[in-house]
Amino acid sequence: MMQRLIRGMQRALGLHHPGRNLEVWPDDVFILSFPKSGNTWTRFLIANLVYPETPADFSNINRLTPDPEALSKREMAKMPRPRIIKSHQYFDPRYKRVIYVVRDPRDVALSQFHFHRKRGLIEDGYPPEKFVARFVAGETSPYGSWGENVASWLATRENRPGLLLLRYEDMLEDAARELKKVASFLEIPPDAERIANAVRRSSADEMRTLEKSQAHLWSSTKSTRQDVPFVRSAQAGGWRTGLPEGAVAQLEAAWGHLMIHLGYELLFPARAVAVTKTTNFDSGFAETMLNGPSR
Amino acid sequence: MIYGIRRVLKYALGRDIAGRTLAVRPDDTFIVSYPRSGNTWTRFLVANLLFPGEPVSFANIERLIPDAEAQSSRYMKRLPGPRLIKSHQYFDHRYPKVLYIVRDPRDVAASYYNFSRKYRHIEDNCPLERYIGDFVHGRLSSAPWGTWAENVGTWMAARNGRPTFLLVRYEDLIADTAAELEKVARFFGVDASPGRLRQAVENSSADQLRELEKKEGGEWVTTKNKRSDIPFIGSAVAGKWKSVLPEAAVLEIESAWGHIMAQLGYQLVTRTPESVETQLADSAVIGKQGK
Repeated sequence: MMQRLIRGMQRALGLHHPGRNLEVWPDDVFILSFPKSGNTWTRFLIANLVYPETPADFSNINRLTPDPEALSKREMAKMPRPRIIKSHQYFDPRYKRVIYVVRDPRDVALSQFHFHRKRGLIEDGYPPEKFVARFVAGETSPYGSWGENVASWLATRENRPGLLLLRYEDMLEDAARELKKVASFLEIPPDAERIANAVRRSSADEMRTLEKSQAHLWSSTKSTRQDVPFVRSAQAGGWRTGLPEGAVAQLEAAWGHLMIHLGYELLFPARAVAVTKTTNFDSGFAETMLNGPSR
Repeated sequence: MIYGIRRVLKYALGRDIAGRTLAVRPDDTFIVSYPRSGNTWTRFLVANLLFPGEPVSFANIERLIPDAEAQSSRYMKRLPGPRLIKSHQYFDHRYPKVLYIVRDPRDVAASYYNFSRKYRHIEDNCPLERYIGDFVHGRLSSAPWGTWAENVGTWMAARNGRPTFLLVRYEDLIADTAAELEKVARFFGVDASPGRLRQAVENSSADQLRELEKKEGGEWVTTKNKRSDIPFIGSAVAGKWKSVLPEAAVLEIESAWGHIMAQLGYQLVTRTPESVETQLADSAVIGKQGK
């Protein structure tokens, strides 16, 4: 009870991190993704695009694109509008303007494996298969499993005007092209030079340099191991060498249908199809995501 | 400020409504649906099935299968596990095991209209077309639970096909209650005899529930202090929308959600599922990325 009283007081004064209970305003824009899917890079790209006069770095990124899990309710309420908010939440009906970044779950799993080492949540020799089993079950993050997170947004908002879907892999291939889509989504003139500048200022090299000097300043990296970097490979397909085949098979068995829908080629298509049959999933989004009850 | 202090105290004492902030336990099971989709009937069916020794009524349903949207955090916390909990929430990743009831949104809308009048959320003479527009665009008191399609869509997309998720259509439940209840029994790991199933179905009939509402509606948390001239237990039939909803309203619902409705086997009358898909594809993001 004492604890609830203290928590209650904190709430009343707005000193708590609102997280999922954030008070949402109609003009809020969300940069959304499952963790380790390029969210931070996207934040830098968008911050550098929207606020070209303030180069984004790890000391100001929480102000430029506020994070309701790092800032207090009071700080969130004071942010100039329209806010461009960072989030990892699965579907929330109040989020009306969403830029959703999706990444191949095999790379996401590998990246989160290293991130959990960095945060000291697992030891260095932890078996990747064991981690991936927990990853598939949705036990490695408080935002649902990768499949639940992605599917909850696609099922409700895909092809609707309030959602811009970006693939991390497409951003790697041509960041300027993808950022141009963001500009038109945000109704910012898609000026080529402005976009090129934002891309340059948000490059992986630039971010690595910033991380070296500022990791201690940023909520997501302070008090974590400094020998494992936050900005990691910034590549697509690292899973091919970084994940054992058994782990890849687990991921594809769980989410093969969704991966195919997103254009991620499977390593074991036959196996995923077998699973598809047993779980009643069929090809095509409508069928895969919203297949009717078996009758 | 006074309001703030009251809120702090309410929270400290655990008297805030559990709702989405409910502390979920790993052995919880949830009966989830959008409002007006047969959730109360399902609660009675399940309670009568699982607790055959105790006649289920509005007086004990909140103890047997409590409503997380109506009960306080403290009440929910004090219940021994494993708990069976009623909820209207859209997808919540913490729910370990979910029985999801889905109903034709055209019937949901028609039923919700009466419910909104009962709760005095709308004027008695609110035009149905306007109401349906608000229903489709999530501007009603149900907005915190998402729209019908958001609620159904998130659960199905995230969980359908998993052993911890059972989807039941209200219409199938109406057509053959015992057969559907048997599926539910298996989902709950109960080996129910035909006699026990039949008994649960009888004890949960619409007539039985109407009788109980007349007697106990004034005390039940969901109907207390609400208009008693409009019943909570509605018509309990499938397809009533055909005689109640104007065509424009049907068109609005089908245009917005036709693709999900078709997937669930709800036949569209104002358009083809393909035309809904085409309309959506016009603004497609995926597959049309500038490559």
